[in-house]
Amino acid sequence: MILANMYELWNSAWPAGLIMLGLGTSFAIVLLIASIKLKVEVDPKVEQIHMALPKIDCGACGFAGCSSYAKAVAEKPSLIGMCAPGGAKAAAKIAEILNLQISESGPAKKPIVHCRATTGDKTIYAEYQGIPMCISANALVNVQACKFGCLGYGDCVAACKFDALHIIDGLAVVNYEKCTGCGACAKACPRNLIEMVPFAHENMMTVACKNKENGKTTRSICKVGCIGCGLCFKQTNIFAIEENLARLDYEKYELNDQTKTAMNKCPTGVIVFRGLTAPEPRQPAQKPAAATV
Amino acid sequence: MKTNIKGKFSFPGGTHPPQNKNLTSESPIQQGPAVKQVAIMLSQHIGAACKPTVKKADPVQAGQKIGDSDSFVSAPVHSPVNGKVKEISLQSHAVLGRSQAVVIEADAENNPPKESACDKFTSSFDAGKYSVEQICAAIRQAGLVGMGGAGFPTSVKIEPNPKLPKETLIINGCECEPYITCDYRIMLEWTHQIIAGVKIAKKVTGCQKVFIAIEDNKPQAIEAIRQALGNSGNDDIKVVPVKTKYPQGGERQLIKAVLNKTVRTGGIPPMIGVVVLNVATTAAIAEAVVCDKPLTHRVVTVTGEAIAKPGNYYTAIGTTIGELIEFCGGITQKAAKVIAGGPMMGIAVADLTTPITKTTGAITILTKQQIGDAKFTGRKTACIRCGRCVDVCPENLVPTAIAHAVKNNLMDVAKNYYLTACIECGCCSYVCPANIELTGYIKTGKILLAKQEKRMPA
Repeated sequence: MILANMYELWNSAWPAGLIMLGLGTSFAIVLLIASIKLKVEVDPKVEQIHMALPKIDCGACGFAGCSSYAKAVAEKPSLIGMCAPGGAKAAAKIAEILNLQISESGPAKKPIVHCRATTGDKTIYAEYQGIPMCISANALVNVQACKFGCLGYGDCVAACKFDALHIIDGLAVVNYEKCTGCGACAKACPRNLIEMVPFAHENMMTVACKNKENGKTTRSICKVGCIGCGLCFKQTNIFAIEENLARLDYEKYELNDQTKTAMNKCPTGVIVFRGLTAPEPRQPAQKPAAATV
Repeated sequence: MKTNIKGKFSFPGGTHPPQNKNLTSESPIQQGPAVKQVAIMLSQHIGAACKPTVKKADPVQAGQKIGDSDSFVSAPVHSPVNGKVKEISLQSHAVLGRSQAVVIEADAENNPPKESACDKFTSSFDAGKYSVEQICAAIRQAGLVGMGGAGFPTSVKIEPNPKLPKETLIINGCECEPYITCDYRIMLEWTHQIIAGVKIAKKVTGCQKVFIAIEDNKPQAIEAIRQALGNSGNDDIKVVPVKTKYPQGGERQLIKAVLNKTVRTGGIPPMIGVVVLNVATTAAIAEAVVCDKPLTHRVVTVTGEAIAKPGNYYTAIGTTIGELIEFCGGITQKAAKVIAGGPMMGIAVADLTTPITKTTGAITILTKQQIGDAKFTGRKTACIRCGRCVDVCPENLVPTAIAHAVKNNLMDVAKNYYLTACIECGCCSYVCPANIELTGYIKTGKILLAKQEKRMPA
């Protein structure tokens, strides 16, 4: 009984099967012809370069993603060093693929937040009730007394694709283990507090302040602001005082006795280490040594 | 009190926030505080910021020019007091956040309070004896800007331009913003000065028709101006009562209401042959041209339920908000928020050392109760798509769509919804039942867009 049914089924179904087979074959032939006739020449180098990139589409290079950067770099080799997360490794690989010699590039750039004021250190005039974004808080008048310091609403956190930035106690803190150096945070900060710094050492010394007001004003509004006293500048010439603010020349920086003394002499403790194994910044002295200018 | 003057004209959209003008509407313009120190912002207007023309420790006279710019769209600034330049430094700015300012220490002895020029004008004023060039130069030199709030340099606005001939002049006396009464008091007390200014503006712009638009909640002002006009026999100047609705005093809304014409998005009123001037600006024009006095003082309404002596004060530009509040008897315990401007479009001020500028018409001090519990604590819920913001938007935008696009950093989407056409009147935020700060997001979006398009330093 079952067998008979199967036989009947086969009898009625085989033409349909044949039609499907015929259709499939004809489409396959059409596609085959199309693939040969309409073939797009892809530079194998582009494919190779794409493979050499980190493929995280962060956009640090200025292109829409890794594949468009690969295409661009194959055409214009001068763009080689643009991939920040790939760094020197990716640059070397791309150079190899393109048969080019590249000069030794500097150390990879990593962001440093030029502020160290946590909630307790800042002076707040009035409670901000607006949109919790730095860019809108910055547009409003004096959300906090310091017109230069970290606002702590986390525009940089939102911009970071690698979870490498967090607001800890009202201050943006970089997690250097996760950071790829793409620079998205530096572009997002409305106060330009985040700078991309060449990390020649594992930890970099920095002046974690951007306050350009005079020492007295800075002192009155922030416990850990640079007062421009010039004690660091007297120790070593890698520091310079511009507009009441100490600046560290990152190109010249190296850790030696002079820089260590400069750091320890800083009355407000604004010279700190930032990096993978950076020690905790020291608390500023309650009564700072009288600054001699 | 209420007469039967009813405005016929209006625009689509808008809201009716509580007016609260009775706090200060009956208090005449008084002399403001005698200041010890003023901070004159170098950027008080739309356009290029001024460069200081004085140095530290220079002595300055009242009315002396202390900042100027070569740029066409700009207006010089002047010292309101006799004194000495203390410093040129960054100061809090109510709109720009922080900006360069010239800080002047006033002479303690030699500083008589500046009297308003309103007594010098009578109904028989004739603008015929001033030439167009003379008027233009006087207005530019006096540093006049739109005193209604936007601060567009008046000289640029009214200068004859053969490419964009002007036909209609609208004098904006709407004052639709709640609480503020400075323009109302000016209309009542400086009536002849305003009309003199209107005549001068009419002459310099070459406009055939002049409309003075006043909201119908100010019948006394309408009467006063009608009377003053009737005496001087001007048939081409008409007083038009318009409906009381916020934002009736917006330039584009007023043109729609009075002329039933629309200025296209991104366009300016001269494109359709219209010039709109605020009444305070008109009064300043008269003072600048006739008395040759620069814009150094303005009427500021200090108001709100949390201030001891609300009133309208003729104040030196550069006086700090704190000083002005102190002069008015200080703030009471209930005060929760200090706003430069009115409650709808004003900007909250955190730093009371912020000086008032040419565009600060009012200082409003609100209590927690007025702000509302939900708004005060920032309690927000999700958008329920009720469309109230769309209904009230005077520019026919979709605020909720723009706000969501900005929130998710989709600037191209926001741009396609005409983010830049927003006049930031605040109607959408006011009516939103979910308490979403729609105007805030749109403002943020404008900054983000400027940054992305590199119109602003990164």
